Amino acid sequence: MMKRLLALLRNELVMTRTTLSIHLLGFFQPALMFSLMAFVLVMPTFELYVARSSLPLGESLVEAMVQVNSPIGDAYIEPLLVEWQQGDDIPGGQVVELAISDGMPTAVQHFDLIDSNIVKNYRNRLTSAGLILWEEELGRAAIQIEERPLLPVDVPYNVYFGMGMLPLAAWIGASFVAAFLSAQEFEFKTIQEYRLAPAHWGLVLGARLLRLSLTGLLSSMVLMITLYVFEQAWPSPLGLALGMLVLMGLIGACVGTSAALVLKQTLPSFVIALASAFFTWIMGGAFGLPAGFGGVYEAVSRWVPNSYAVRALFPLYYPIEPSHPNSYLILFVFATAAVIATILIYRKSVLSVEEVRQ
Amino acid sequence: MTNVISVQSAVRRYGELLAVDGLSFDVQKGDVFGLLGPNGAGKTTTIHLLTGLLDRHAGKVEVLGFDPVQQSRQVHQQIGYVPQETNMYMDLNAEENLWHHAALYCADLTAVPDRIDMLLNTTNLWERRRDRVRTYSGGMKRRLALARALLHDPQVIFFDEPTLGVDVQGKHAIWDHVQEQRESGKTFVVSTNDMQEADALCDRLLILDHGRVVTAGSPEELKAELGRDVVTLRTSPGIKNAAGLVNAVGGQAMSQPEPGMTRFEVRDAEKLVEDIILAVRKDYRLESIRIARPSLDDVFLHHTGRALRDG
Repeated sequence: MMKRLLALLRNELVMTRTTLSIHLLGFFQPALMFSLMAFVLVMPTFELYVARSSLPLGESLVEAMVQVNSPIGDAYIEPLLVEWQQGDDIPGGQVVELAISDGMPTAVQHFDLIDSNIVKNYRNRLTSAGLILWEEELGRAAIQIEERPLLPVDVPYNVYFGMGMLPLAAWIGASFVAAFLSAQEFEFKTIQEYRLAPAHWGLVLGARLLRLSLTGLLSSMVLMITLYVFEQAWPSPLGLALGMLVLMGLIGACVGTSAALVLKQTLPSFVIALASAFFTWIMGGAFGLPAGFGGVYEAVSRWVPNSYAVRALFPLYYPIEPSHPNSYLILFVFATAAVIATILIYRKSVLSVEEVRQ
Repeated sequence: MTNVISVQSAVRRYGELLAVDGLSFDVQKGDVFGLLGPNGAGKTTTIHLLTGLLDRHAGKVEVLGFDPVQQSRQVHQQIGYVPQETNMYMDLNAEENLWHHAALYCADLTAVPDRIDMLLNTTNLWERRRDRVRTYSGGMKRRLALARALLHDPQVIFFDEPTLGVDVQGKHAIWDHVQEQRESGKTFVVSTNDMQEADALCDRLLILDHGRVVTAGSPEELKAELGRDVVTLRTSPGIKNAAGLVNAVGGQAMSQPEPGMTRFEVRDAEKLVEDIILAVRKDYRLESIRIARPSLDDVFLHHTGRALRDG
């Protein structure tokens, strides 16, 4: 049996030549996407402009803002004094103007068209700086703010972003190739070879799913290495991460294979693989742990395997203690369900003889 | 002789269409058995019933003593199938395609390298074994498909339209390969609508039309059964009362397949040729007269009233 399985796996590897371009897409698309999104769209530091003023408050406000910086990570917001007055263009979408209003020193925030999340961050920074100045004024009557972070160091957001993409990479690598490999069997009519084959269908399907899972793993490892190159972030222990990514690859392989077995055409099957990969990525903690978003997002994310994969990966990338053994178990359940569904579809699409005897 | 295939009253429908209508026949070991008929006669459906790709709606089918649907595993281990459309991995080479088949079909994987070498040699593909199948001619693809079907050493090979789209040279090469395999004891079931192929290749024929058996026997028997020669006249203009003329010389099965052409069957045509020429020349200008021994097309025409090539 092992000899047969190895022969079938050899077939599967040789078949790579029939879908070379889609393999390259599966291997490198996630890493390329991460590189582009992480370093073009995700800005590590934003400048916060404060208009230079004749009031002495300006420089002390900027100093207070610098003081607010996280003690464990990058500055994120860097306050800068600039020459600006009302009527000028707003530099970088935001500027703080200092004035006296009703006899009170007042910081006025001017905003252009910028992201509302950034607005909140700027506002928080200004408020915190205001508190520091207030504290200096009031002494012990003021409120002290003490930061007690979960992590000893502030891990850059790109690490989360890249880690969140690892399950996507496994899914993409496996499902894209699965969709093309299986659908082209129908288009080239080579599916007939499988219909009449004396080899047990379990071995034939098993070899394909195993090969696709490993393809998914390879795809996610390309991203894992990219993440290491850019951020020096590496999962520990590696074995747990690889095991989890194999399961994600298996689920992606089942989705891509099932789509192809039902649709029997490469393009629609590929679209299903693509849509499923991105839906599960976005709904499964692509930009932050689902628990942090709450509401509908969290409710939907419970039914998406990526959520559990991200939860399982989180302690491997972040220096925190609690791991999530349940996540592995739930992922295993997802993978088992996907394999069972694929078996049923395979038997119906490939092995069933048309119409039963009357 | 041992029957390797036995079909009794097999029926297969596609919705309202009766594709196979009460078909019965036996195939003996070592035969090249032909299913001859026009497109839509039920040849491919019959092969699909025999291979277990389709189930029948009624009747009994046995291949090597097994039901192809209920005991598919036993049947599939012992049959080879070359479908009408060559279904190869075009971006793989001949060896890789054969290895792919071997992993799915061959019980003894250790014997595969030797069998691949042997089959690539006997089908004259050895020199091109490392070339992608995409670069092969139609004949080479069919030869590779035959090699693939033979790889797991099956007892019965189903060959659907063996030389469809293959040039004359390629056709003869494929026929030679089939004959070689037949001599080594393999049984072939061949479907074709090529009369020359059926004549050259098959030991026994089942002529089908609209899913029913028209007649069966060896090509020689079928032609001899007709017992008459086929006379084809070309006149100008076309003969108006052709039936009267044909009756006058004792002919039958008259048809006028195209303007100016009259065709009929008659016994001992050579003795009657002078009478026929005189009768025609009374009213028409005779351009040509052709007397031929009956072909399989004539057999089909005799039984169905239309030519095989008319579909």
